[in-house]
Amino acid sequence: MSKFFRRIGRYFKEGFWGVVRHGAMALSSASAVTITLTIISIFLMFSFNLDQFTREIEGTVQVSATLEYECDGEDELRIRDAILKIEGVDKVTYKTREEEFDYFVEMYDADGKAGLREIYGDQHPMHAAYYINVTSNADLKMIASEVAKIEGIYETSYGGEGAVLLMDALDSVRYGGMILVAALSALAIFLISNTIKLTIYARNKEIAIMRAVGASNADIRFPYVIEGILIGLLGSLVPVGLTIFGYIYLYRFLGGVLLTQMWPLIAPHPFVLYLSAILVAAGVIVGLVGSFFSVSKYLRWKR
Amino acid sequence: MLELKQVSKTYKNGVNALYDINLKIEQGEFVYIIGPTGSGKSTLIKLLDGEEIPTKGVVDVLGINVGKLRHSKVPKYRRNIGVVFQDFRLLERKTVFENIAFAMEVLNEPAKVIRKRVRQVMNLVGLDDKGAAFPAELSGGQQQRVAIARAIANKPKILIADEPTGNLDPGKSDEIMVLLEKINREEGTTILMVTHDTVLVNKHRKRTLVLEAGHLVADMTEGGYFSHE
Ligand SMILES: Nc1ncnc2c1ncn2[C@@H]1O[C@H](COP(=O)(O)OP(=O)(O)O)[C@@H](O)[C@H]1O
Ligand SMILES: [Mg+2]
Repeated sequence: MSKFFRRIGRYFKEGFWGVVRHGAMALSSASAVTITLTIISIFLMFSFNLDQFTREIEGTVQVSATLEYECDGEDELRIRDAILKIEGVDKVTYKTREEEFDYFVEMYDADGKAGLREIYGDQHPMHAAYYINVTSNADLKMIASEVAKIEGIYETSYGGEGAVLLMDALDSVRYGGMILVAALSALAIFLISNTIKLTIYARNKEIAIMRAVGASNADIRFPYVIEGILIGLLGSLVPVGLTIFGYIYLYRFLGGVLLTQMWPLIAPHPFVLYLSAILVAAGVIVGLVGSFFSVSKYLRWKR
Repeated sequence: MLELKQVSKTYKNGVNALYDINLKIEQGEFVYIIGPTGSGKSTLIKLLDGEEIPTKGVVDVLGINVGKLRHSKVPKYRRNIGVVFQDFRLLERKTVFENIAFAMEVLNEPAKVIRKRVRQVMNLVGLDDKGAAFPAELSGGQQQRVAIARAIANKPKILIADEPTGNLDPGKSDEIMVLLEKINREEGTTILMVTHDTVLVNKHRKRTLVLEAGHLVADMTEGGYFSHE
């Protein structure tokens, strides 16, 4: 058991001193990690907030379908069922003609209201209507046209087309961002594993000696893995700092919203901590994977 | 303790490095392996330390069939064998003490045991006062002493030295020989030494194996330089 702890202790000690002794190489590996993680962090901030906006906007988009005057209670039930069968429909709310008229009248001032009621009385031209809430990502246009095909529907329309277009635009920005991040990450991981390979190449003498005196593969590998993890952690320091202080600053600077009150930013408090955790984990994983495989080449017995 | 039975080695590229070698070495012996460049001396060593597998025959060391050893068992087997090379292979960033200790640390020995043994082998190789020095601050002879100290730190049963004096002047070579003889005597380590140095071989006479073009052409228990025309 004490040998076990000695072994673990040595992995950490050697890993730590490896970073210190090969400081320049460790730093160059760490800066590759830093660049990647910073990009990932920016992307995550953007992406999570976009998700939030999307949800916000989606709550406000509805399809409205007005009914023909001839529809009776039976028709209304049939139409309701037909609407609910359409893919992407979440919830349907019924409004009577009177409710619709009241809503319309409500938009005017006292004089206007009185005037309207006087002119129309009970003979107003409003239709009864269904208001349809859609599930996220549903295609409003498609749903509206499906609803329009149902017998007894007078007219359909959907609100927030501008919002939908914007959502689509932001989605493509996010999609493009994702590709960019993937490409940059691949590049950075390549750089990292290359630097770690260089670090290890510079030490193949060390590895050769370890092998010559009969160190097991695990005993050779793990100090390097710890070193890789430490480099990953080192590389995540700056991105974590940037994330926490940068996001808090940005949030304050923008007053908690992006452009309009319609788009509130995610509150910094637990958010930056989650982001930081993701970044630290990513740094550790990159360092671990990079060093694990870089050292493998030197551990293979070629006989 | 060490026996080769009808051992041949053909490398993957088709080079025949050794032909039908039969050889037996007892515990505590000191044996030279001589022969021209390319005669298979290093190949013989690689068969012994498990780096290469014989194409034919059996390499038996300490009762272990080295050629049949599973890869995962090679490291443990390697602890029986210390190796020293012509080019010392010291770690420049570590001190003499650290270089020697390194060989024991990677086997997870306790720090106390390491300190004691490192001092002991530093004394054995005559470098008591050089513990804090870095390899670059030492002469070639001293550096080879450090490499030898490192090779014997884990008390291997066999010490293999591949041209340990190849980079040293005759005076220093002689000192290394004296040191190896001392280790052979005091630690009871079996020593196999590959060399080109005819002067050494003639001066410190020992059992001598002569390789030529992959054949073991002579095994002289009496020692002395062998010239094969
Ligand atoms: N890894 C290898 N792959 C292919 N051929 C090799 C390898 N190592 C050595 N040889 C060949 O085997 C022969 C013997 O080499 P070696 O054992 O190194 O001789 P020595 O140490 O006596 O100079 C040489 O012809 C050499 O080119
Ligand atoms: Mg050789």
